Amino acid sequence: MTTDQPIRDAALAWAMATRAPDFADWDGFAAWLEADSAHAAAYDAVQYALEEADAVLAAFPEPEAAPEPANDNPSGWLAGRRGWLGGAIAASLVVALTSVMWFAPGGETLYRTTPGKTRVIALADGSTVELGGGSTLALEGERAARLEGGQALFTIRHDEANPFVLTAGGERLVDAGTVFDVRLAGETLDVAVAEGAVIVDPKGQAIRLDPGERAVREGGRFRLADVDSEAVGEWRRGRISFDGASLAEIAAELTRATGTRFTSADTATRLSGSIAMDAVRADPEALEPLLGVRITRSDDGWMIAAR
Amino acid sequence: MAPTTPLEEAYLAHRERLLRFLRARGGGEAAEDLLQELWLRLAAAPYPAAASGLGYMMRAADRLMIDRYRSERQATLRDKAWAEAQPGMVDGIAPAPGPERDLAARQEVARVERALAELGPRVAAILRRHRIDGLTQREIAAEFGVSLSTVESDLRRAYARIVAIREEGK
Repeated sequence: MTTDQPIRDAALAWAMATRAPDFADWDGFAAWLEADSAHAAAYDAVQYALEEADAVLAAFPEPEAAPEPANDNPSGWLAGRRGWLGGAIAASLVVALTSVMWFAPGGETLYRTTPGKTRVIALADGSTVELGGGSTLALEGERAARLEGGQALFTIRHDEANPFVLTAGGERLVDAGTVFDVRLAGETLDVAVAEGAVIVDPKGQAIRLDPGERAVREGGRFRLADVDSEAVGEWRRGRISFDGASLAEIAAELTRATGTRFTSADTATRLSGSIAMDAVRADPEALEPLLGVRITRSDDGWMIAAR
Repeated sequence: MAPTTPLEEAYLAHRERLLRFLRARGGGEAAEDLLQELWLRLAAAPYPAAASGLGYMMRAADRLMIDRYRSERQATLRDKAWAEAQPGMVDGIAPAPGPERDLAARQEVARVERALAELGPRVAAILRRHRIDGLTQREIAAEFGVSLSTVESDLRRAYARIVAIREEGK
Protein backbone atom coordinates (compact mmCIF):
# COMPACT_ATOMS: atom_id res chain seq x y z
CA MET A 1 0.00 0.00 0.00
CA THR A 2 1.70 3.15 -1.14
CA THR A 3 -0.11 6.37 -0.50
CA ASP A 4 0.00 9.32 -2.84
CA GLN A 5 2.93 11.50 -1.85
CA PRO A 6 0.93 14.78 -1.48
CA ILE A 7 -1.75 13.04 0.58
CA ARG A 8 0.86 11.42 2.76
CA ASP A 9 2.63 14.75 3.28
CA ALA A 10 -0.66 16.36 4.28
CA ALA A 11 -1.44 13.46 6.62
CA LEU A 12 2.00 13.90 8.20
CA ALA A 13 1.37 17.62 8.66
CA TRP A 14 -1.97 16.93 10.36
CA ALA A 15 -0.41 14.30 12.60
CA MET A 16 2.19 16.88 13.65
CA ALA A 17 -0.42 19.60 14.15
CA THR A 18 -2.90 17.53 16.17
CA ARG A 19 -0.11 16.50 18.52
CA ALA A 20 0.28 20.07 19.84
CA PRO A 21 -1.60 20.41 23.16
CA ASP A 22 -3.22 23.64 22.01
CA PHE A 23 -4.30 22.38 18.58
CA ALA A 24 -7.67 24.00 17.85
CA ASP A 25 -8.33 23.64 14.12
CA TRP A 26 -10.53 20.54 14.40
CA ASP A 27 -12.93 21.95 11.82
CA GLY A 28 -10.09 22.44 9.34
CA PHE A 29 -8.95 18.90 10.03
CA ALA A 30 -12.49 17.56 9.55
CA ALA A 31 -12.80 19.45 6.28
CA TRP A 32 -9.57 17.92 5.01
CA LEU A 33 -10.77 14.43 5.99
CA GLU A 34 -14.11 14.98 4.27
CA ALA A 35 -12.46 16.06 1.02
CA ASP A 36 -11.33 12.53 0.17
CA SER A 37 -11.81 9.19 1.92
CA ALA A 38 -8.15 8.41 1.18
CA HIS A 39 -7.22 11.17 3.62
CA ALA A 40 -8.48 9.34 6.71
CA ALA A 41 -6.73 6.15 5.58
CA ALA A 42 -3.45 8.01 5.05
CA TYR A 43 -3.75 9.71 8.45
CA ASP A 44 -4.45 6.35 10.13
CA ALA A 45 -1.39 4.84 8.48
CA VAL A 46 0.77 7.76 9.62
CA GLN A 47 -0.47 7.62 13.21
CA TYR A 48 0.01 3.86 13.30
CA ALA A 49 3.57 4.09 11.95
CA LEU A 50 4.42 6.82 14.47
CA GLU A 51 3.07 4.86 17.41
CA GLU A 52 4.92 1.74 16.33
CA ALA A 53 8.09 3.82 16.21
CA ASP A 54 7.24 5.28 19.63
CA ALA A 55 7.17 1.77 21.05
CA VAL A 56 10.66 1.18 19.63
CA LEU A 57 11.94 4.51 20.94
CA ALA A 58 10.42 3.97 24.38
CA ALA A 59 11.92 0.49 24.62
CA PHE A 60 15.38 1.79 23.83
CA PRO A 61 17.39 3.81 26.31
CA GLU A 62 18.25 7.32 25.33
CA PRO A 63 21.73 7.36 23.78
CA GLU A 64 22.96 10.21 25.93
CA ALA A 65 21.83 12.17 28.97
CA ALA A 66 19.19 14.85 28.51
CA PRO A 67 20.73 18.32 28.10
CA GLU A 68 18.75 19.59 31.09
CA PRO A 69 20.89 19.65 34.24
CA ALA A 70 19.82 17.13 36.84
CA ASN A 71 18.33 18.57 39.97
CA ASP A 72 19.13 15.77 42.32
CA ASN A 73 21.28 17.85 44.60
CA PRO A 74 19.04 20.42 46.32
CA SER A 75 21.38 21.52 49.09
CA GLY A 76 24.38 21.79 46.79
CA TRP A 77 22.42 22.89 43.76
CA LEU A 78 25.25 25.11 42.59
CA ALA A 79 27.35 22.04 41.96
CA GLY A 80 25.24 21.03 39.01
CA ARG A 81 25.51 24.45 37.46
CA ARG A 82 29.12 25.28 38.02
CA GLY A 83 31.06 26.90 35.28
CA TRP A 84 29.74 30.43 35.15
CA LEU A 85 30.61 31.40 38.72
CA GLY A 86 33.22 29.99 41.07
CA GLY A 87 31.64 27.88 43.80
CA ALA A 88 33.04 29.89 46.69
CA ILE A 89 32.03 33.25 45.25
CA ALA A 90 28.61 31.94 44.41
CA ALA A 91 28.11 30.57 47.91
CA SER A 92 28.91 33.93 49.46
CA LEU A 93 26.53 35.66 47.05
CA VAL A 94 23.71 33.38 48.09
CA VAL A 95 24.19 34.57 51.64
CA ALA A 96 24.59 38.21 50.72
CA LEU A 97 21.75 38.68 48.26
CA THR A 98 18.07 38.35 48.86
CA SER A 99 17.58 36.94 45.42
CA VAL A 100 19.97 35.76 42.80
CA MET A 101 19.89 35.28 39.09
CA TRP A 102 22.18 33.30 36.83
CA PHE A 103 22.48 32.78 33.15
CA ALA A 104 23.00 29.08 32.76
CA PRO A 105 24.48 27.58 29.61
CA GLY A 106 21.85 26.87 26.99
CA GLY A 107 20.01 30.14 27.51
CA GLU A 108 18.31 29.18 30.76
CA THR A 109 18.03 31.87 33.43
CA LEU A 110 17.70 30.92 37.07
CA TYR A 111 16.07 33.01 39.76
CA ARG A 112 16.28 32.12 43.39
CA THR A 113 14.89 33.93 46.42
CA THR A 114 15.86 33.46 50.05
CA PRO A 115 13.13 32.72 52.60
CA GLY A 116 11.12 35.77 53.57
CA LYS A 117 11.95 37.68 50.37
CA THR A 118 10.04 37.96 47.13
CA ARG A 119 10.89 39.34 43.73
CA VAL A 120 9.14 40.28 40.53
CA ILE A 121 10.50 38.98 37.24
CA ALA A 122 9.40 40.89 34.16
CA LEU A 123 9.37 38.83 30.99
CA ALA A 124 10.10 40.27 27.56
CA ASP A 125 6.50 39.93 26.37
CA GLY A 126 5.03 41.94 29.26
CA SER A 127 4.18 38.91 31.38
CA THR A 128 5.31 38.92 34.99
CA VAL A 129 6.24 36.30 37.52
CA GLU A 130 6.16 37.14 41.21
CA LEU A 131 8.41 34.72 43.01
CA GLY A 132 7.70 33.95 46.66
CA GLY A 133 10.28 33.46 49.40
CA GLY A 134 12.59 30.43 49.34
CA SER A 135 11.69 29.68 45.75
CA THR A 136 13.60 28.77 42.59
CA LEU A 137 12.42 29.40 39.05
CA ALA A 138 14.22 28.63 35.80
CA LEU A 139 13.26 30.57 32.69
CA GLU A 140 13.80 28.11 29.89
CA GLY A 141 12.89 30.42 27.08
CA GLU A 142 10.58 33.31 26.29
CA ARG A 143 7.47 31.26 26.94
CA ALA A 144 8.69 28.41 29.10
CA ALA A 145 9.62 28.22 32.76
CA ARG A 146 10.20 25.61 35.40
CA LEU A 147 9.34 26.03 39.08
CA GLU A 148 11.88 23.97 41.00
CA GLY A 149 10.43 24.70 44.41
CA GLY A 150 8.45 27.25 46.36
CA GLN A 151 5.69 29.46 45.03
CA ALA A 152 5.10 31.89 42.18
CA LEU A 153 2.22 33.93 40.81
CA PHE A 154 2.15 34.10 37.02
CA THR A 155 0.45 36.94 35.16
CA ILE A 156 0.79 35.78 31.59
CA ARG A 157 0.09 37.71 28.43
CA HIS A 158 -1.82 35.17 26.40
CA ASP A 159 -0.79 34.20 22.90
CA GLU A 160 -2.92 31.50 21.31
CA ALA A 161 -0.15 30.56 18.89
CA ASN A 162 2.53 30.47 21.54
CA PRO A 163 1.18 29.38 24.92
CA PHE A 164 3.20 29.83 28.07
CA VAL A 165 4.25 26.47 29.48
CA LEU A 166 5.28 25.96 33.08
CA THR A 167 6.81 22.75 34.37
CA ALA A 168 6.51 22.08 38.11
CA GLY A 169 7.22 18.83 39.90
CA GLY A 170 7.30 17.00 36.58
CA GLU A 171 3.84 18.33 35.68
CA ARG A 172 3.17 20.52 32.67
CA LEU A 173 0.84 23.51 32.93
CA VAL A 174 -0.22 25.43 29.84
CA ASP A 175 -1.83 28.84 30.15
CA ALA A 176 -4.88 30.02 28.28
CA GLY A 177 -4.83 33.75 29.14
CA THR A 178 -4.01 33.67 32.71
CA VAL A 179 -3.23 34.77 36.23
CA PHE A 180 -2.34 31.68 38.20
CA ASP A 181 -0.45 30.69 41.31
CA VAL A 182 1.72 27.59 41.64
CA ARG A 183 3.21 26.17 44.78
CA LEU A 184 5.58 23.20 44.82
CA ALA A 185 6.60 21.69 48.16
CA GLY A 186 8.26 18.32 47.81
CA GLU A 187 5.87 16.24 45.73
CA THR A 188 2.85 18.38 46.59
CA LEU A 189 1.86 20.62 43.72
CA ASP A 190 -0.87 23.20 44.12
CA VAL A 191 -2.19 25.23 41.17
CA ALA A 192 -4.86 27.92 41.58
CA VAL A 193 -6.30 30.10 38.81
CA ALA A 194 -7.46 33.70 39.30
CA GLU A 195 -8.07 34.70 35.67
CA GLY A 196 -8.20 32.92 32.33
CA ALA A 197 -7.49 29.20 32.43
CA VAL A 198 -4.68 26.71 32.84
CA ILE A 199 -4.45 23.23 31.37
CA VAL A 200 -2.65 20.82 33.68
CA ASP A 201 -0.91 17.88 32.00
CA PRO A 202 -2.19 18.70 28.50
CA LYS A 203 -0.91 15.43 27.01
CA GLY A 204 -2.48 13.21 29.63
CA GLN A 205 -5.32 14.05 31.95
CA ALA A 206 -5.74 17.54 30.44
CA ILE A 207 -7.34 19.04 33.51
CA ARG A 208 -8.70 22.47 32.71
CA LEU A 209 -8.76 24.95 35.57
CA ASP A 210 -10.97 28.00 35.25
CA PRO A 211 -10.97 31.03 37.56
CA GLY A 212 -11.75 30.01 41.12
CA GLU A 213 -10.55 26.47 40.51
CA ARG A 214 -7.63 24.75 42.02
CA ALA A 215 -5.87 21.41 41.52
CA VAL A 216 -3.74 19.84 44.22
CA ARG A 217 -1.48 16.90 43.49
CA GLU A 218 -0.80 14.79 46.56
CA GLY A 219 0.40 11.22 46.50
CA GLY A 220 0.59 11.37 42.71
CA ARG A 221 -3.11 12.16 42.20
CA PHE A 222 -4.86 15.42 41.50
CA ARG A 223 -7.90 16.51 43.42
CA LEU A 224 -9.92 19.53 42.34
CA ALA A 225 -11.05 22.19 44.79
CA ASP A 226 -12.55 25.64 44.74
CA VAL A 227 -10.56 28.70 45.65
CA ASP A 228 -11.54 32.31 46.13
CA SER A 229 -10.15 34.02 42.99
CA GLU A 230 -9.43 37.10 45.08
CA ALA A 231 -7.29 35.03 47.42
CA VAL A 232 -5.07 33.62 44.64
CA GLY A 233 -1.61 35.10 45.08
CA GLU A 234 -2.53 36.69 48.40
CA TRP A 235 0.89 35.65 49.74
CA ARG A 236 2.18 38.74 47.89
CA ARG A 237 0.12 40.83 50.27
CA GLY A 238 1.64 39.06 53.26
CA ARG A 239 -1.05 36.48 53.83
CA ILE A 240 -0.85 32.72 53.42
CA SER A 241 -3.64 30.17 53.50
CA PHE A 242 -3.66 26.49 54.32
CA ASP A 243 -6.19 23.90 53.29
CA GLY A 244 -5.87 20.76 55.35
CA ALA A 245 -2.09 21.17 55.59
CA SER A 246 -0.07 19.23 58.16
CA LEU A 247 1.85 21.13 60.86
CA ALA A 248 5.10 20.07 59.15
CA GLU A 249 3.90 21.56 55.85
CA ILE A 250 2.71 24.72 57.59
CA ALA A 251 6.12 25.09 59.28
CA ALA A 252 7.88 24.80 55.90
CA GLU A 253 5.54 27.37 54.34
CA LEU A 254 5.99 29.80 57.23
CA THR A 255 9.77 29.48 56.94
CA ARG A 256 9.61 30.23 53.24
CA ALA A 257 7.32 33.19 53.69
CA THR A 258 8.89 34.85 56.74
CA GLY A 259 12.56 33.88 56.64
CA THR A 260 12.24 32.80 60.27
CA ARG A 261 12.88 29.11 60.77
CA PHE A 262 9.85 27.05 61.84
CA THR A 263 9.90 23.30 62.26
CA SER A 264 7.39 20.62 63.16
CA ALA A 265 7.61 16.85 63.26
CA ASP A 266 3.83 16.54 63.22
CA THR A 267 2.56 15.30 59.86
CA ALA A 268 -0.75 14.03 61.26
CA THR A 269 -2.43 17.16 62.60
CA ARG A 270 -4.00 19.07 59.73
CA LEU A 271 -5.29 22.61 59.78
CA SER A 272 -7.03 25.04 57.47
CA GLY A 273 -6.94 28.79 57.73
CA SER A 274 -5.30 32.02 56.71
CA ILE A 275 -2.56 33.92 58.52
CA ALA A 276 -1.15 37.45 58.12
CA MET A 277 2.62 37.18 57.97
CA ASP A 278 3.30 40.54 59.66
CA ALA A 279 1.88 39.28 62.94
CA VAL A 280 3.99 36.12 62.75
CA ARG A 281 7.15 38.04 61.86
CA ALA A 282 6.65 40.42 64.74
CA ASP A 283 5.92 37.65 67.21
CA PRO A 284 6.13 33.96 66.22
CA GLU A 285 4.27 33.07 69.40
CA ALA A 286 1.24 34.80 67.92
CA LEU A 287 0.74 31.52 66.01
CA GLU A 288 -0.47 29.89 69.21
CA PRO A 289 -3.84 31.63 69.31
CA LEU A 290 -4.00 31.93 65.50
CA LEU A 291 -3.62 28.24 64.78
CA GLY A 292 -4.45 26.78 68.16
CA VAL A 293 -1.04 25.14 68.44
CA ARG A 294 1.87 25.18 70.85
CA ILE A 295 4.99 27.19 69.92
CA THR A 296 8.32 26.60 71.59
CA ARG A 297 11.73 28.05 70.94
CA SER A 298 14.28 25.73 69.37
CA ASP A 299 18.01 26.23 68.76
CA ASP A 300 17.65 28.13 65.55
CA GLY A 301 13.97 28.97 65.34
CA TRP A 302 10.56 27.86 66.53
CA MET A 303 8.90 24.50 66.91
CA ILE A 304 5.21 23.98 66.22
CA ALA A 305 3.33 21.17 67.94
CA ALA A 306 -0.31 20.22 68.37
CA ARG A 307 -1.84 21.39 71.60
CA MET B 1 -32.02 11.40 28.21
CA ALA B 2 -32.35 14.70 29.99
CA PRO B 3 -28.99 16.40 30.43
CA THR B 4 -28.09 16.11 34.06
CA THR B 5 -24.38 16.88 34.18
CA PRO B 6 -22.30 19.63 32.55
CA LEU B 7 -20.40 16.89 30.70
CA GLU B 8 -23.61 15.50 29.19
CA GLU B 9 -24.72 19.00 28.24
CA ALA B 10 -21.38 19.71 26.58
CA TYR B 11 -21.48 16.36 24.79
CA LEU B 12 -24.97 17.02 23.46
CA ALA B 13 -23.97 20.52 22.39
CA HIS B 14 -21.02 19.13 20.41
CA ARG B 15 -22.75 15.95 19.27
CA GLU B 16 -23.23 16.92 15.61
CA ARG B 17 -19.67 18.14 15.27
CA LEU B 18 -18.29 14.99 16.83
CA LEU B 19 -20.47 12.84 14.61
CA ARG B 20 -19.34 14.68 11.52
CA PHE B 21 -15.73 14.29 12.60
CA LEU B 22 -16.05 10.56 13.30
CA ARG B 23 -17.77 10.01 9.97
CA ALA B 24 -14.98 11.83 8.09
CA ARG B 25 -12.30 10.24 10.24
CA GLY B 26 -13.12 6.87 8.69
CA GLY B 27 -16.14 5.92 10.77
CA GLY B 28 -18.58 6.30 7.87
CA GLU B 29 -21.80 4.39 8.53
CA ALA B 30 -20.53 3.24 11.92
CA ALA B 31 -20.19 6.84 13.14
CA GLU B 32 -23.27 6.64 15.40
CA ASP B 33 -21.93 3.54 17.14
CA LEU B 34 -18.53 5.14 17.45
CA LEU B 35 -20.11 8.22 18.97
CA GLN B 36 -21.68 5.97 21.60
CA GLU B 37 -18.28 4.44 22.30
CA LEU B 38 -16.80 7.93 22.54
CA TRP B 39 -19.45 8.91 25.07
CA LEU B 40 -18.55 5.92 27.24
CA ARG B 41 -14.92 7.02 27.17
CA LEU B 42 -15.80 10.62 28.00
CA ALA B 43 -18.10 9.56 30.83
CA ALA B 44 -15.27 7.48 32.28
CA ALA B 45 -12.79 10.39 32.14
CA PRO B 46 -11.29 11.07 35.56
CA TYR B 47 -12.00 14.81 35.33
CA PRO B 48 -15.42 15.53 33.80
CA ALA B 49 -14.74 19.27 33.86
CA ALA B 50 -11.70 18.79 31.63
CA ALA B 51 -13.51 16.29 29.40
CA SER B 52 -16.30 18.72 28.56
CA GLY B 53 -14.14 20.99 26.37
CA LEU B 54 -14.56 20.61 22.60
CA GLY B 55 -10.79 20.18 22.12
CA TYR B 56 -10.73 17.32 24.61
CA MET B 57 -13.70 15.62 22.96
CA MET B 58 -12.26 15.97 19.46
CA ARG B 59 -8.94 14.62 20.64
CA ALA B 60 -10.71 11.71 22.31
CA ALA B 61 -12.59 11.04 19.05
CA ASP B 62 -9.30 11.05 17.12
CA ARG B 63 -7.80 8.72 19.74
CA LEU B 64 -10.76 6.38 19.45
CA MET B 65 -10.17 6.05 15.71
CA ILE B 66 -6.41 5.58 16.15
CA ASP B 67 -7.09 2.78 18.66
CA ARG B 68 -9.67 1.25 16.35
CA TYR B 69 -7.28 1.20 13.42
CA ARG B 70 -4.60 -0.36 15.62
CA SER B 71 -6.83 -3.13 16.93
CA GLU B 72 -8.21 -3.91 13.46
CA ARG B 73 -4.73 -4.04 12.05
CA GLN B 74 -3.41 -6.22 14.78
CA ALA B 75 -6.39 -8.53 14.46
CA THR B 76 -5.63 -8.83 10.74
CA LEU B 77 -1.97 -9.54 11.40
CA ARG B 78 -2.91 -12.12 14.04
CA ASP B 79 -5.37 -13.82 11.74
CA LYS B 80 -2.77 -13.89 9.01
CA ALA B 81 -0.08 -15.29 11.30
CA TRP B 82 -2.55 -17.84 12.62
CA ALA B 83 -3.69 -18.91 9.20
CA GLU B 84 -0.11 -19.31 8.04
CA ALA B 85 0.95 -21.24 11.10
CA GLN B 86 -2.15 -23.39 11.50
CA PRO B 87 -3.89 -23.89 8.18
CA GLY B 88 -7.35 -25.26 8.56
CA MET B 89 -7.63 -24.61 12.29
CA VAL B 90 -10.55 -22.77 13.83
CA ASP B 91 -9.86 -19.27 15.07
CA GLY B 92 -10.89 -17.74 18.36
CA ILE B 93 -7.70 -18.60 20.19
CA ALA B 94 -5.09 -15.90 20.61
CA PRO B 95 -1.83 -17.12 19.12
CA ALA B 96 1.29 -16.96 21.22
CA PRO B 97 3.97 -14.69 19.79
CA GLY B 98 5.95 -17.26 17.86
CA PRO B 99 9.48 -17.03 16.49
CA GLU B 100 8.25 -15.34 13.31
CA ARG B 101 6.66 -12.52 15.23
CA ASP B 102 9.75 -12.05 17.39
CA LEU B 103 11.84 -11.83 14.27
CA ALA B 104 9.48 -9.33 12.71
CA ALA B 105 9.63 -7.20 15.87
CA ARG B 106 13.42 -7.28 15.85
CA GLN B 107 13.51 -6.30 12.20
CA GLU B 108 11.16 -3.42 12.95
CA VAL B 109 13.41 -2.23 15.76
CA ALA B 110 16.44 -2.45 13.49
CA ARG B 111 14.66 -0.49 10.74
CA VAL B 112 13.64 2.32 13.08
CA GLU B 113 17.10 2.46 14.60
CA ARG B 114 18.73 2.62 11.20
CA ALA B 115 16.36 5.32 10.03
CA LEU B 116 17.07 7.44 13.09
CA ALA B 117 20.82 6.94 12.74
CA GLU B 118 20.57 8.19 9.15
CA LEU B 119 18.73 11.29 10.27
CA GLY B 120 21.52 12.25 12.67
CA PRO B 121 21.71 12.62 16.43
CA ARG B 122 19.88 15.95 16.69
CA VAL B 123 16.85 14.83 14.71
CA ALA B 124 16.73 11.57 16.67
CA ALA B 125 17.02 13.41 19.99
CA ILE B 126 14.32 15.92 19.02
CA LEU B 127 11.99 13.15 17.91
CA ARG B 128 12.49 11.38 21.22
CA ARG B 129 11.84 14.53 23.25
CA HIS B 130 8.67 15.18 21.28
CA ARG B 131 7.21 11.70 21.03
CA ILE B 132 8.36 10.04 24.23
CA ASP B 133 8.83 12.90 26.68
CA GLY B 134 5.88 14.87 25.28
CA LEU B 135 7.58 18.24 24.92
CA THR B 136 6.06 20.77 22.56
CA GLN B 137 7.98 22.00 19.55
CA ARG B 138 8.52 25.30 21.30
CA GLU B 139 9.94 23.68 24.41
CA ILE B 140 12.27 21.63 22.27
CA ALA B 141 13.44 24.75 20.43
CA ALA B 142 14.27 26.36 23.78
CA GLU B 143 16.00 23.25 25.06
CA PHE B 144 18.14 22.63 22.00
CA GLY B 145 18.76 26.30 21.35
CA VAL B 146 17.48 26.07 17.78
CA SER B 147 14.68 27.92 16.01
CA LEU B 148 11.12 26.67 15.99
CA SER B 149 11.26 26.15 12.25
CA THR B 150 14.32 23.92 12.69
CA VAL B 151 12.44 21.76 15.18
CA GLU B 152 9.47 21.61 12.85
CA SER B 153 11.54 20.60 9.85
CA ASP B 154 13.50 18.04 11.89
CA LEU B 155 10.25 16.49 13.10
CA ARG B 156 8.78 16.51 9.62
CA ARG B 157 11.85 14.68 8.27
CA ALA B 158 11.72 12.17 11.12
CA TYR B 159 7.98 11.56 10.65
CA ALA B 160 8.38 11.16 6.90
CA ARG B 161 11.25 8.70 7.38
CA ILE B 162 9.29 6.62 9.89
CA VAL B 163 6.27 6.42 7.63
CA ALA B 164 8.50 5.60 4.64
CA ILE B 165 10.25 2.70 6.38
CA ARG B 166 6.87 1.21 7.31
CA GLU B 167 5.89 1.20 3.69
CA GLU B 168 9.26 -0.19 2.61
CA GLY B 169 8.98 -2.88 5.25
CA LYS B 170 5.76 -4.26 3.86
